[in-house]
Amino acid sequence: MQVIQVEDLWKKFKIPHERRTTILENVAGALQILEGKRFTYEEFWALKAINFTVNHGESIGVIGENGSGKSTLLKVIANILRPDRGRVKASGKIAPILELGVGFHPDLTVKENILVYGSIMGLKNSDVKRRMSSMLEFSGLERFKDAKLKNLSSGMQMRLGFSVAIETNPDIFLIDEALAVGDMEFQQKCMNKFKDFKEEKKTIVLVSHALNLVNEFCEKTVFLSRGEMISFGKTGNTVNEYVKHVGGHN
Amino acid sequence: MFQYGELVRNLTIKEFKLRYRNSVLGFVWSLLNPLAMMIILTLVFSTLLRVGIENFPVFLLTALLAWRFFSIGTSMSLSSIIGNSPLVTKIYFPRWLLVLSSNLANLIGSSLEFAALFPILIFLGMKITFFALLLPVILLFEFILIFGVSLILAPLNVYYRDFNQIWDITLQIGFFLCPIIYSISLIPERYILAYALNPMTRIIEATRKILYYNTLPTFVDFTIVLASGLLLLLIGYLIFCKLEPRFAEEI
Repeated sequence: MQVIQVEDLWKKFKIPHERRTTILENVAGALQILEGKRFTYEEFWALKAINFTVNHGESIGVIGENGSGKSTLLKVIANILRPDRGRVKASGKIAPILELGVGFHPDLTVKENILVYGSIMGLKNSDVKRRMSSMLEFSGLERFKDAKLKNLSSGMQMRLGFSVAIETNPDIFLIDEALAVGDMEFQQKCMNKFKDFKEEKKTIVLVSHALNLVNEFCEKTVFLSRGEMISFGKTGNTVNEYVKHVGGHN
Repeated sequence: MFQYGELVRNLTIKEFKLRYRNSVLGFVWSLLNPLAMMIILTLVFSTLLRVGIENFPVFLLTALLAWRFFSIGTSMSLSSIIGNSPLVTKIYFPRWLLVLSSNLANLIGSSLEFAALFPILIFLGMKITFFALLLPVILLFEFILIFGVSLILAPLNVYYRDFNQIWDITLQIGFFLCPIIYSISLIPERYILAYALNPMTRIIEATRKILYYNTLPTFVDFTIVLASGLLLLLIGYLIFCKLEPRFAEEI
């Protein structure tokens, strides 16, 4: 059963040469156009013609150099960004664990954030309250449950995000370098959790630069370079191709 | 909609907490503001300028409360998307829920404001009649209007960050375009038709009718408010749907 379908996905960003975020700037810009100066911006295609599918229970790695479109791809699957062409279909409850966080508000306390996040993930407040202690326990942040999120370190925020996300019982995990900031003990704990998820047939898309992690964990891997999908297939082959690709540049 | 009930509740509570957090007096500030304004304006208008309106403090405060519900509600909504950028850039949920929650938090705030100032109004000589029971209906109609305007303002403010300055000025103009510090009878005959089409004028007049003049608002009052509210809701919905897909990029 196909859980994620990415069909001919294109995503572009506009990079204005002069960024205008106010109406005043836009009016001034329009006047300049009348004077013959052109408003210019570059189009930057972050993803070009991406095609792949993920089956139920599969773990997929996404590798590629910085700026190759990995995070953009995850955000499009998570429906945070919308494609410019093509389409992405994902069925089931998605838990995106993106760089530094899952969607917490810095001015709210840990407990308040867990409640809001839980309801975004479709959980009832009573459910969240029941699971609160195991969330806090996994993150090791029981002492900080009444602290504002902004007062936690980035590592603690990530631990919290991860711990809360896994307790909301999603079908699909989108993980973007999330483990990079955790300490060794926590990374180990997460690895064990991942193994449980695999056994529970959860679908996982993992963006990572840690090739050994991808090798160990993902059956298939997508290799992106400058927004294009260079290859998609068995992790061993794809990783080799990536290593060759990087070597070829040197 | 119902699947998001709990989310809307949590987001509303969050908005409400954030609004009053970090201030010792918290909610009291939102009471002091209209009271201070009432005292200043009463001093200026009935003592210095002698406008000769009977019981000017009640005349003013009833209108001021209805106006503040609108002005604070719409101003707060301007930041309902950009103020939640940590959520918008990290996880998907229907973004208009943020606007609704901001409006609901304001509804709670304004209702408390009304409730707390009612004793003061009575002390100042306001006569409570059965007409006062219509107040929730007027507030509900006003809420639809606020929600419609907010659905236009909040997404535009994501793309154009000076929209809140523009809205500030618009509200200042609106304050004097509505019969808050003066009576509608001052408006010259030939302008009255256009003047009375303003839904906020109707809301303020309706509030004043039930709390100050002790009469019933007319059917036309309610029709204009509801019709303009629903029209703005439709426009807001269309604008919101158009701008929503690129929120996470523009924020």
